[in-house]
Amino acid sequence: MADLIELQNVSKQYVSGPEVVHALVDLDLRVAIGEFVAIVGASGSGKSTLMNILGCLDRPSRGSYHLAGVDVSNRSADARAIVRNRLIGFVFQGFNLLPRTTALENVELPLIYRGVGARERRRRAIRALTQVGLADRIRHTPTQLSGGQQQRVAIARALVTEPPLLLADEPTGNLDTRTSFEVLALLQSLVRELGLTIALVTHESDVAECAGRVITMRDGRVESDHVQRTPRDAAASLEELAAAPAGTAE
Amino acid sequence: MSAFTSALRIALAALTRSKGRSLLTGLGILIGIAAVVVVTALGTGARERVGSQIESLGSNLLFVFGQGSQRSGVRIRAGSNFGLSEEDAEAIRREASAVNKVAVYAEVKPQVSSEYGNAKIAVVGIDRDYFDVRNYRIAEGRAFTANEERFKSKVCLIGLTAQQKLFGNSDPIGRYVRIGKYPFRVIGTLESKGQSQFEDQDDRIIMPIGSWRARVVPTLGNRVQLIMVTAKSAAHIPEAERQIDAILRQLHDIADGDPADFQVRTQDEFRKSQEAILGILTALFMAVAGIALLVGGVGVMNIMLVSVTERTREIGIRMAIGAKRRDIQLQFLIEAVLLTLFGGLSGIAVAVGVIAVLTHTLEWTMRLSFEAVTAAIAMSLAVGTVFGFLPAQRAAALDPIEALRHE
Repeated sequence: MADLIELQNVSKQYVSGPEVVHALVDLDLRVAIGEFVAIVGASGSGKSTLMNILGCLDRPSRGSYHLAGVDVSNRSADARAIVRNRLIGFVFQGFNLLPRTTALENVELPLIYRGVGARERRRRAIRALTQVGLADRIRHTPTQLSGGQQQRVAIARALVTEPPLLLADEPTGNLDTRTSFEVLALLQSLVRELGLTIALVTHESDVAECAGRVITMRDGRVESDHVQRTPRDAAASLEELAAAPAGTAE
Repeated sequence: MSAFTSALRIALAALTRSKGRSLLTGLGILIGIAAVVVVTALGTGARERVGSQIESLGSNLLFVFGQGSQRSGVRIRAGSNFGLSEEDAEAIRREASAVNKVAVYAEVKPQVSSEYGNAKIAVVGIDRDYFDVRNYRIAEGRAFTANEERFKSKVCLIGLTAQQKLFGNSDPIGRYVRIGKYPFRVIGTLESKGQSQFEDQDDRIIMPIGSWRARVVPTLGNRVQLIMVTAKSAAHIPEAERQIDAILRQLHDIADGDPADFQVRTQDEFRKSQEAILGILTALFMAVAGIALLVGGVGVMNIMLVSVTERTREIGIRMAIGAKRRDIQLQFLIEAVLLTLFGGLSGIAVAVGVIAVLTHTLEWTMRLSFEAVTAAIAMSLAVGTVFGFLPAQRAAALDPIEALRHE
């Protein structure tokens, strides 16, 4: 299978006060289409920097980044905005939905920046919300939704442009165990059914267990990179959780 | 265009999310624009009024004033403005070829009484050409006859205001007014000329200059305040001005280049000097209104800067999902312009109300011109663009990573 992500010799330094921080050091990384990769590591290991570069929010200091076969390492801010809009969907720990804005409008947003007409925008946004199981909540604003629902709206917003890559930065960090498995089950189904590629940053081991491949970062380098032949099935975990008596879930 | 309409929709949504703040910010612009529009309407109205007043004086008119200065080293009647004489008028009539009619004018303001009451009223002595020169018309009754002029008859014509003061609503023709110790018979009424810049042109009684000299002010000899001259046509005005100057200099024995003891003014010069005064006043008020608008603009900038800071995270989200710098810039610029446009339109509405109230209660002449409204709208747009630029620039320059991290 062709590689969706191809990082070669990527380094990233930035100046923080008097020090130069080497956030990433000579990193090589390939991710194939349809992979579900978990990136783990202690804080300061470089996983956030890696996510920012993968998400075209930041540029590597050195090295090259090919996304879907195109070199995006040295693009201008606006060119990277176009790449983000067309090729990448973002899911954040804090959901990052626009306040006082309905689920439908939140999901339509990326399509506005793509210049899609109102009618088509609406149609696609409703489809994406249906995909995440929120067809009956399209008029709700974030404060009227639970954390899990908000994250599912965010996932719908990431999916609405039909990108090949979804980047999730601690997507379950603000959620309880049950809701976390719900979101993970949704992500797994997206990989399975749509062939989506997902890179997910987490520091929780049971979240990482759901991925097909786990990359551990340390001091700006890849410490270990191994494939999990039988990743944990989040949907099954959810059922076990439901079957277990209340109070013993944690 | 699609980027613009979507930015417009986003900006509208953002503004309606914080209605109270939008209203207050718009208020600053509202006041500024309303002030500008009202001042402009006042200026335009005043200019039109001056124009029509000067028009109402008559056409192709020149005025000759005495300067009350010196003649042969002797100061004549210090403080008086009776610096011209009937001989001057006669000489102009005789010698100036570009001149059509010449009228003399002398005025005092004594106590005048009638059987109903008394008041201080301007009493004016004139010759018959005055009616033609000033475009005066008789409303009722008749003008003086040549014989009445010759025999210095005690007859007079009365203006509308003077008539109301002395006779109320009853018909004055055939009745008498008393000036000093003489009664004058009212033989006619004057058509209304309206309010001039400084006085009520209808608050006057006019009579033949001979009667005036004999019965009202017997001490002035043949001196007059004012000689009014009509040129043969508009094209003859400069020529008439030159001729009058030459004739009076010769008669008064003043060499060319020396300061004259008289002054020739054309209607156009009147208009220009009036408009100059109005222009200065309007500019002054405009400056004040402009400052109000400026303050409003700074308010918009302030709120937009606060808004950019508050919505840093929102900007980060928008950038992450594909908003280009231009999209962000446009969104905030449009928000600022919508604010000022909303303020400006409400300001125009308020100004229309203020103008209507002032026109009705104070009877000010105000004219709301289409140009003023267009200019006000353009100004609101300009203020929004200028003062929205910096906040929009700041929003667009944000780093998406930093912005997303912002709490």
